[in-house]
Amino acid sequence: MIKKKVKVESLGTSGKVTFEKDEGSRSQKNMVVLKELTKRYKQLLALDNVSIEIKEGEIFGYIGPNGAGKTTTIKIMVDLIKKTSGETFIDGYPMPEQKEEVHKLIGYLPQQVAFQQWRTVDQALTTFGKLSGVNPQEIERSIVELLDLLKLSDVRYKKIVELSGGMIQKLGFVQALLHKPKLLILDEPLSGLDPESRYQVKQILKDMSKQGTTVFFSSHILSDVQDIATKIGILNWGHIVTIGTMEELKEELIKENKVEIVLSKNSGKWTKLRSQSGIKKIKEIAPDKLLVHFESKDKSGEIIHQLIEGLLSNDCHIRSIIPVVPNLDEVYQQYLNGGGNT
Amino acid sequence: MSFSLLFKDELKGFYKSKVMIFLWAGLPLLTVLLHLLTPDTGEDIPFTMLSALLVSSIGGTLASAMLAVSIIHEKTVHVYDLFLIRPIKRWNLIISKFLAVYVCITIASILALILGIIIDYFVSGVTSEVILHGALESIVVSLSMMAIASAAGIVIGVISPSVLVGVILVIYGGNQISIIPMIPSIANMPNSVVFTIILGATITGVLLSIAIILFNKKQF
Repeated sequence: MIKKKVKVESLGTSGKVTFEKDEGSRSQKNMVVLKELTKRYKQLLALDNVSIEIKEGEIFGYIGPNGAGKTTTIKIMVDLIKKTSGETFIDGYPMPEQKEEVHKLIGYLPQQVAFQQWRTVDQALTTFGKLSGVNPQEIERSIVELLDLLKLSDVRYKKIVELSGGMIQKLGFVQALLHKPKLLILDEPLSGLDPESRYQVKQILKDMSKQGTTVFFSSHILSDVQDIATKIGILNWGHIVTIGTMEELKEELIKENKVEIVLSKNSGKWTKLRSQSGIKKIKEIAPDKLLVHFESKDKSGEIIHQLIEGLLSNDCHIRSIIPVVPNLDEVYQQYLNGGGNT
Repeated sequence: MSFSLLFKDELKGFYKSKVMIFLWAGLPLLTVLLHLLTPDTGEDIPFTMLSALLVSSIGGTLASAMLAVSIIHEKTVHVYDLFLIRPIKRWNLIISKFLAVYVCITIASILALILGIIIDYFVSGVTSEVILHGALESIVVSLSMMAIASAAGIVIGVISPSVLVGVILVIYGGNQISIIPMIPSIANMPNSVVFTIILGATITGVLLSIAIILFNKKQF
């Protein structure tokens, strides 16, 4: 598992704890620090020593199967449920001790977003804006801008009860952004949205991240996580299986290099190369396609060079050589099946 | 700031609700019907008192049920999640709801009781001083009963896992406890109005405190 150490630097008069990276040259602040978070529901251990660190401006994709503990983690972070043990810090503020401070800087979208049915969209957003401490002019400006962005302007004065499920999900997203939070905590934000809306939401999240907003989101849609997350955490049965960037996760999994070779001429003599040193396995996966497994990822460049020479000398002409890189679905499956380092 | 905002919001939500519309029109109408159906209430029980009993019993039960069902529903569908992650105190949510319903039900009850006073005045022809004293006692008893019923509705809403359980508890619990403020009047105690107010305020305060403690501990 990829871990980064933090040290407690100071405890100011505000009770805010400052975290600093032990290693690395960039002095990026930790926005979220979860340390050995554990949650027990009677006999069920929902979270077991979960530790996560997310830096300011990062988009953290939290994935795992149903019942893994993603929503439990999120609800502990926003103080909707109490942890059994462990520590939670948001922007240096300990939770739940300084929840009022934390609640000022977070935007939250629950998995099941619901509003009081008698409210209109405008009433709901205005109330949430005011409760978050935003001034009326700013609320008005944000409502117009965000409803327009998510194509909800037409329903501004409609009652919530008249909205579709997808609209309510988007409205939930709007209320989370209304006060320009420093940290967005989103539980399955893209589920229930049509492809266009999913694209819009992902673009908004990317733009916000560029402006310094930190995003912590859970999702089942792995392609969406791969699209926007700068860091990914995989949770299974309450345990963090791995955390890292997409590249780091792949790197950990790739214990053997694989390449796919497309041939323009296949003489069939490539079978002679099976005994070549450094090649673990070579097989034909299509009439013009070979899949080559190398013994290790070290020296793969040198082995490929020998492989090319070997193929040409055996009357096999090469059209292309493509390294086989796992996508997030494959990475996810391999980690859940115990393929990755834990 | 957040409390007054939530209170105004809840007031807006409740006063236009179907149940409240029934109460606004229904309670005064019920008073008139009661008079027409039982024109002679005897000398000992003024009509105002009888209508106060009916109004507080029905109004209290409805307020209690309305609050309990509203809280249970909002808990179940996770409406509170979006409020609780904002910088507000948890108690603001339930107390603003209590006050909003209590204000609505108080206005509806007072309208009904004023009708009772008018009927009493024209029918019995007793002096206005006697009627006003009786009316004051009736209003105090009625409002105390409804305050307790409403507070009980809040507690039931917070603790009940389902609407069905909530409604059963309202009928068998909230409704029974709300008759306590009638004891000083029934027992003909001196200063019964003062005792009724003390009893009503104390029980309401205790119930709301219990509700706040439980709501603060609640995990969503």
